[in-house]
Amino acid sequence: MRSGLAASLRALVPIALAFALGFALFAASGYDVAAVLAGLWQGAVAAPGSLEQSLRWALPLAIVSLGIIITLRTGEFNIGAQGQLLVGGLGAVAAPLLLPDLPPAIVIPLALLGGIIGGALWSGIAGALKVWFNSDEVINTLMLNFIAVLLIQWFTTGPFKDDSTRGENASTPRIDLSFRLSDSSGVSLELLVIVVIAALFAWLLVERSPFGLQSKLVGSSPRVAAWQGLRIRRIHILTYLLAGAFAGLAGALEVLGPSGRLVTGATPTLGFTAIVVAIVGLLRVPGALLAALFFGGLQAAILFLPIVTNLPSSGLRIIEGLVALLITAQFIWRRRRDSASESEA
Amino acid sequence: MEQFVVTTIRLSVPLIFAGLGGLFSVRAGIFHIGIEGLMLAGAFVTVAIGSALGSVWLGIGGAIAVNLLLSWVYWFLIDRLKADMIIAGLGLTTLCVGGTAFLMSAFFNKRGSMTSQVRLPQPVVGPQEGLLAYVSELSLLAWLLPLFVLIVWLLLRRSRLGLQLAAIGEYPYAAEAAGVNISRSKLYAMLITGICCALAGAELAVGGLAAFSENMTNGRGFIALAAILFGSLDPIRTTLAGLFFGLANAVGINSQIYAGASNVPRQFILMLPFAATIFFVTLRGYASGRNAPRVS
Repeated sequence: MRSGLAASLRALVPIALAFALGFALFAASGYDVAAVLAGLWQGAVAAPGSLEQSLRWALPLAIVSLGIIITLRTGEFNIGAQGQLLVGGLGAVAAPLLLPDLPPAIVIPLALLGGIIGGALWSGIAGALKVWFNSDEVINTLMLNFIAVLLIQWFTTGPFKDDSTRGENASTPRIDLSFRLSDSSGVSLELLVIVVIAALFAWLLVERSPFGLQSKLVGSSPRVAAWQGLRIRRIHILTYLLAGAFAGLAGALEVLGPSGRLVTGATPTLGFTAIVVAIVGLLRVPGALLAALFFGGLQAAILFLPIVTNLPSSGLRIIEGLVALLITAQFIWRRRRDSASESEA
Repeated sequence: MEQFVVTTIRLSVPLIFAGLGGLFSVRAGIFHIGIEGLMLAGAFVTVAIGSALGSVWLGIGGAIAVNLLLSWVYWFLIDRLKADMIIAGLGLTTLCVGGTAFLMSAFFNKRGSMTSQVRLPQPVVGPQEGLLAYVSELSLLAWLLPLFVLIVWLLLRRSRLGLQLAAIGEYPYAAEAAGVNISRSKLYAMLITGICCALAGAELAVGGLAAFSENMTNGRGFIALAAILFGSLDPIRTTLAGLFFGLANAVGINSQIYAGASNVPRQFILMLPFAATIFFVTLRGYASGRNAPRVS
């Protein structure tokens, strides 16, 4: 990172451009842009409870993006966070539902572990296929996302079914209140502590550990890494397992936290937004945390906006899409080579 | 049985249009994740313009125009501004998911879904009753599919662009040395992808249903991409892969209708195309060895 300012500008210019284009479209469609801006501010920051809502969405985004940072730095395109998140939720819901009589001190760690293992396994499938069979991870993680959705659908309409729910809202029964880490607000001391620990762990791993250095070398110049005698396959597999573990942990926190159960159609865009968060955060842990707060606020605003303006919430999806479309483009100066910007054609 | 065959064809047609269109981009070395979004844009614009102007052809024309524009933007970003094709492709898809829902709400005041005032003609009228009655459900685009496959095959195997694309995909440096303008070939390939995705979206929205609903592609673009890999970047095999995915989808839908006919939960049948894709992509990756050029 040659200059912190230039680097931040690199992330801020596409975001500003995305907002400008989005709001131009809103104005052209006849919406009151000032009212929409005010609604955004209220929904993300100012209205009562809105900061809490922003934080509620920032927490899972932050955790998932930590895993994505690790994979993108290694040059791997694991875009399966969405599926890993869902399977993590499945791993997490098992212990509270199957062992309801055990004390929370045992069940909650089991559930967290279940989530982490679930996510890591799901990601590990794509990783193992890539490393040992040279199978394309982009298509495989995409496919695993769809399989995960169907798998969850089967669990919530079959073995773990709660009879009062159906369709998009089909879900498992609610887990016992004693196993919950937060109420439906999704913000609690327990959740915050877990996210802080996860972020510290990721920061140490990425910035201060041999693994972090090695994986970055593997991502930026695989040949040099091979000459150095690094065990590239092992690093790749570890990368996938870690990314899945973070996504799975986020899925577990969703189940033990705000949701309290596993829902079929839950958080359909979280895994994708987390990729944008990681890139906007320039593949660094502090940057990703800031970006997670920003996109958490945007998500909170999406849910709030219909209350104050008639702008459909899909309008903000447009801005999110524009950010992703523009964020890796080199507008003014040449980007430093990093793993996210290297196309692998 | 005939109904089952017709259902399979109807589910396959959008996949094959998008798959064969995407084939041009993939052959040019672009792993075009935005196909999903382009299909959705095609479906929406066909319904929106078609309904507003009262002509399905103007609707499809508009869809093609919009997709050409979006494809050009995507090309400009990844070729000229060196944006990452996967991230930008995901962005393009999200933009289309949000954009179609937004415009439907802003200009038609509809949330969730809207009905179309126009639909594609269904040129062959089968008997009113009996097993063959279902063929009358097939749209004009479905009947034109064989011709479309032939055109794509000719374009890829016999045209200058097709041969250039093959060269770019196999040996980009040799192609460049031989004077192929790689940038321009990529642009043409992506524009063709855009046109085909507009047709795929039109078939999806006005081929049978005559309606548009939010996110109605629901992953079909990604499946089309999988069909390309499944078909080893070959037009005929991509078509067959599209039919196979349509078949798996039809089996999933029918097992829902004929509940009890099988004990396998329908979710597992619906997983088949995705699992088969992973299996086949892996097989192909393994066979191609560690030093082969990557698709993405």
